Amino acid sequence: MNIRTLVWLEFKQHKSQLISGLLAITLGIAVIVGIRSVSIVSEKAVAVNLDNLGANILVLPQSSNVDNYYAADIDAPTIPEEYVDRIVSSNLSGVDNLSPKLTRRTKIGNENVVLTGILPKNEITSKPMWQQSGLLGNELKANCAPTNSENQSNGYEDEKLQRKVIDSLGADECLVGYAISQKLKLKEGGSIEILGENFRVSRVINETGTVDDDRIFIHLRKAQELLKIPDQVSAIEIMGCCNAISDGLLGKLRNILPDTKITTIGQIVSTQIQTNKMMRNISLIFLIIIIFVGGISIGNFMWANVNERRKEIGMFRMIGFSKTIIYRMFLLKAFMLGILGGIIGYIFGTLAAVWLGPKLAGFSVNPLPNLIAVSLLISIGVSILGTLIPAYLAGRIEPFSNMQEE
Amino acid sequence: MIIKVKNISKSYQKTGRGVLALDDISFEINEGDFVTITGQSGSGKTTLLLSLAGLIKITGGQIHFNNFRIDNANDKYLSDFRKKYVGFVMQSFALIPYLTALENIMLPLAISKISKKEKIKKANTLIELVGLEDRIYHFPRELSAGQQQRIAIARALINEPSLILADEPTGNLDPSLSTDIMNLLKKINNEKHVTILMVTHSPVAAEYGSKKIHLHDGKIISY
Repeated sequence: MNIRTLVWLEFKQHKSQLISGLLAITLGIAVIVGIRSVSIVSEKAVAVNLDNLGANILVLPQSSNVDNYYAADIDAPTIPEEYVDRIVSSNLSGVDNLSPKLTRRTKIGNENVVLTGILPKNEITSKPMWQQSGLLGNELKANCAPTNSENQSNGYEDEKLQRKVIDSLGADECLVGYAISQKLKLKEGGSIEILGENFRVSRVINETGTVDDDRIFIHLRKAQELLKIPDQVSAIEIMGCCNAISDGLLGKLRNILPDTKITTIGQIVSTQIQTNKMMRNISLIFLIIIIFVGGISIGNFMWANVNERRKEIGMFRMIGFSKTIIYRMFLLKAFMLGILGGIIGYIFGTLAAVWLGPKLAGFSVNPLPNLIAVSLLISIGVSILGTLIPAYLAGRIEPFSNMQEE
Repeated sequence: MIIKVKNISKSYQKTGRGVLALDDISFEINEGDFVTITGQSGSGKTTLLLSLAGLIKITGGQIHFNNFRIDNANDKYLSDFRKKYVGFVMQSFALIPYLTALENIMLPLAISKISKKEKIKKANTLIELVGLEDRIYHFPRELSAGQQQRIAIARALINEPSLILADEPTGNLDPSLSTDIMNLLKKINNEKHVTILMVTHSPVAAEYGSKKIHLHDGKIISY
């Protein structure tokens, strides 16, 4: 029996009071961890891809949401695939590569996946008109894209861009994102049933840190057939030369396709950075709220605890516990509360981020262990801050409260 | 001589009126004495006990414990003094409800630096002394009033104090249990030579004392 044991035994004694005392601080920590987990992953995704993207253009249906580049095509309304031909036939200079795609969410087993139909290079080259326009990856390499990487494929370092120039993709083949391959335990050469049809996994794409990790890519024609959306696409990605964009390529494209939303990735990323900034600010607001509400909540719980235990504290004082020891006992209890609040808050926040991240933000969120230190620091700090006054008042309790009053 | 009380007085305000709880009291207590303090309600018995433990400040006079003056000592010194030299037995037992009998006995050692093994050994010896070795892991709610008071007495002895201050230790017990508790206190006084100062209303309990102080309106009537 020492002070730590004594505090721990008392701590366990008041479980229901503990829950109410911890509620505010736990919820606050959970919200902060949840928001930070999502925003950190989002920031990483922007940071990882921004440099490699270069000048790029996205053609989307007018009503689609462009807050998140990587998820902009998911569940978006569709546009006719014929628009691709319209761009090609317009002979616009600076359009180096076109990549139409159709994307929808679906389920495989119990897992949510993003199914994306794409056109492989051999499909593109089979169209004489496209060949004439030089819409191939090699052309792109010469014109705009970075070229200094040993791992590049057709001039693209970024995994996401590499799959735009997939050489060939059979009707019964698929490419699988890293996260979904882990969840469904898929390996190259294995097979998977998608919407009632069997596909062979021709490749597992390396981890990109974006929603692409949760995607399964199949041939565009097959996707249109399985999803029953013939001749439609969700988006058309265009690799355009930087100079051409400066020279008004976007305006020219808008003239050709007036009922679409045409934007550069730079603009979308900028929107996403704004969203991330807003999330950071929300985290800060929650931090301020938690300091006030959590501190008051803990203080209230501790004050009730001190009042309830006046006789007990008087007894401790009577048998020789000094005021300093009484302060230490309550601050130790606050420390334990802080640890508990921080850990529970971190777990709830992380679970919420992992569960809601793919649904709301459109990308996988992995637990971030370094946030546990932040959670503990905030939680312990707030808990101790809220306990300072009750601890001081506990130390002032007269030691003779157990004695018979005359 | 373990305690020397010299001309102490204690006054305080109650509902706007001045009350003199102790009025120029002086006495001496030797080591091994069993002193009972009697008197009507409001005569100053408990105030005297609290003053001797350094739990309240007197307004006049001096209190010496083993030739050290304690009436003007600071909180840290008094805490240390109570921890080392004084054991308390209260009418309400004052056991901690979430601690077992053994843990309650060990409680004063929570702030001591001795090893856990040594603490348990001392507590086991005392639980045997009070005859409750089969109730070690019982919580206070699982013990009778008499058993709870025995645990409280064992707790008072754990630091091997030279003085036990008891405030109506039999006040919540029936006559049969009261006799048990008084016999136990007498045994401790005889065998361990611990000085005992006991406040009581009970004339029967008062007879256990080797010295008797009778108070009336804050003054010693007989000693």
